[in-house]
Amino acid sequence: MAMAALRREGRRFATPLLSSPIRSSIISHSHEEVANGVRSISTQVVRNRMKSVKNIQKITKAMKMVAASKLRAIQTRTENSRGLWQPFTALLGDAPSVDVKKSVIVTISSDKGLCGGINSTSVKISRVLHKLSSGPEKETKYVILGEKAKAQLLRDSKQDISLSITELQKNPLNYTQNVEFDALKIVFNKFHSVVQFMPTVSTVLSPEIMERESEAGGKLGELDSYEIEGAETKGEVLQNLAEFQFSCILFNGVLENACSEQGARMSAMDSSSRNAGDMLDRLTLTYNRTRQASITTELIEIISGASALEG
Amino acid sequence: MTLNLCVLTPNRIVWDSEVKEIILSTNSGQIGVLPNHAPIATAVDIGILRIRLNDQWLTMALMGGFARIGNNKITILVNDAEKSSDIDPEEAQQTLEIAEANLTKAEGKRQLIEANLSLRRARTRVEAINMLAQ
Repeated sequence: MAMAALRREGRRFATPLLSSPIRSSIISHSHEEVANGVRSISTQVVRNRMKSVKNIQKITKAMKMVAASKLRAIQTRTENSRGLWQPFTALLGDAPSVDVKKSVIVTISSDKGLCGGINSTSVKISRVLHKLSSGPEKETKYVILGEKAKAQLLRDSKQDISLSITELQKNPLNYTQNVEFDALKIVFNKFHSVVQFMPTVSTVLSPEIMERESEAGGKLGELDSYEIEGAETKGEVLQNLAEFQFSCILFNGVLENACSEQGARMSAMDSSSRNAGDMLDRLTLTYNRTRQASITTELIEIISGASALEG
Repeated sequence: MTLNLCVLTPNRIVWDSEVKEIILSTNSGQIGVLPNHAPIATAVDIGILRIRLNDQWLTMALMGGFARIGNNKITILVNDAEKSSDIDPEEAQQTLEIAEANLTKAEGKRQLIEANLSLRRARTRVEAINMLAQ
C-alpha cells in the first residue's frame, strides 16, 4: 500500500525531471534495457502495445469467422455450377495451346485485400500467359475483373488493358462492351479445398477459330459428327454455343475465385491471430520483467534512503 | 434401352435420371427424341420440355440454353428450369400479367428486349402448368 503510494509519488516527480528528447530516447530503450533506473514509464508503454495487439487479434479472429461463414454459403453454389461447364469440355475439349492472332486474358481477382497470395498468383500467371502469347503478329489484351489485379497490372501493362470491371457484386456483368478476341483465356483460382487453391486457366475459343479447328480434326473434329439443328448455318449455332460456353465458364470462374478468396482470407486471418497471440505472450513476459525491475529499483532507493537517514 | 437425361442450370442440377422419351423445343421447332437418336447439338429456346417416364408425361419450363444428344445420353444446359409441379398457378398467372404490363410500358430497345424475354418466360411457365392439367 505504502509502496504503491510512493510509486505514484515517484511518477509525479519523474515527468518534469526529464526533458522531452531524453524521455523519448529512454522510452525507446525501455524494452531492451530493463535495469536502467527508469520507473513506470516503460510498463505503460508495454501495456499500450499489449492492448493494441489484443485488439488486432480480436479483429482478425472476427474476420476469420466471417470469412468461414461466407465460404460455406458460396461453396454449395460453386459446386452446383461446376456441372455446367463439364459438358462443354466433353464436347469441345480444352485447347490451351491454339495458335491465334488475338488473345484476351481475363483475370479474375478480388476487390478486397487481406486474402493471402491468391491475387498475386493470378497476376503472375496472367503475365506469363501474356508473354507466351505475344509475338510478332499476335497481340494480347487484358480484361480485368476486380480491384486487386487492376492495381497490380496497371503498374506495368497499362497499355494492354482493354477493359476493367470492379465491384462485381454491385454491378452485375453485362456483355455490352465489345472486346474482340480469337481466344479467351480466363485465369482464376480454383477451389479444391479450404487450404488448397489452384490457379487455373480455362480457354474459350471464338466461333471462327472453333470452325477452323474443327476442320483440322482432333477433339473439335468430333463436333462435325453431330447434326446441327436449331439454326440455318453451322456458324450461327457455333456462335450461340461459344457465347453460352463463355458465360458458363465465366460464371463458374467467378464463383470459384470468390470461394478461394474467402478460404485464403480465413487462413490468412487465422495465422495472423496466432501470430498476435505469440506477440502477446512475449509482451506479457517483457511487461512482467519491467514491472519487477521497477519495483526492485523502488525498493533499493527506499531502503538506501532509509538506511542513510538512520546511519 | 433408355435415355439418360441431365438438365443443368447454373445453380443446380434439375434432373438427372433415365427417361423413355423427351420432346424438346428448339429454335426451329419441337423435336422428339427416342432412344438411339442420331447425335445432335442444338440451341434450346425458351419453352417446354416434356419428359415421358413409363407412360406418364412430365413437363418442365426451360429458359433457353443448349442441348446435346449423344449416344443415348442427353445433356441440356439452360439458364433456368422449373418443373411444372413446382410452379404455383396463381403466382405464374400474376407474373404473366406483370410481364405483359411491363411490355406495354417498355421504352428503349434494351428494355423492350428484356420485357419480351420476361414475357416469354412467364408465358412458358403458365403453359407448363396448363399442360400438366391436361
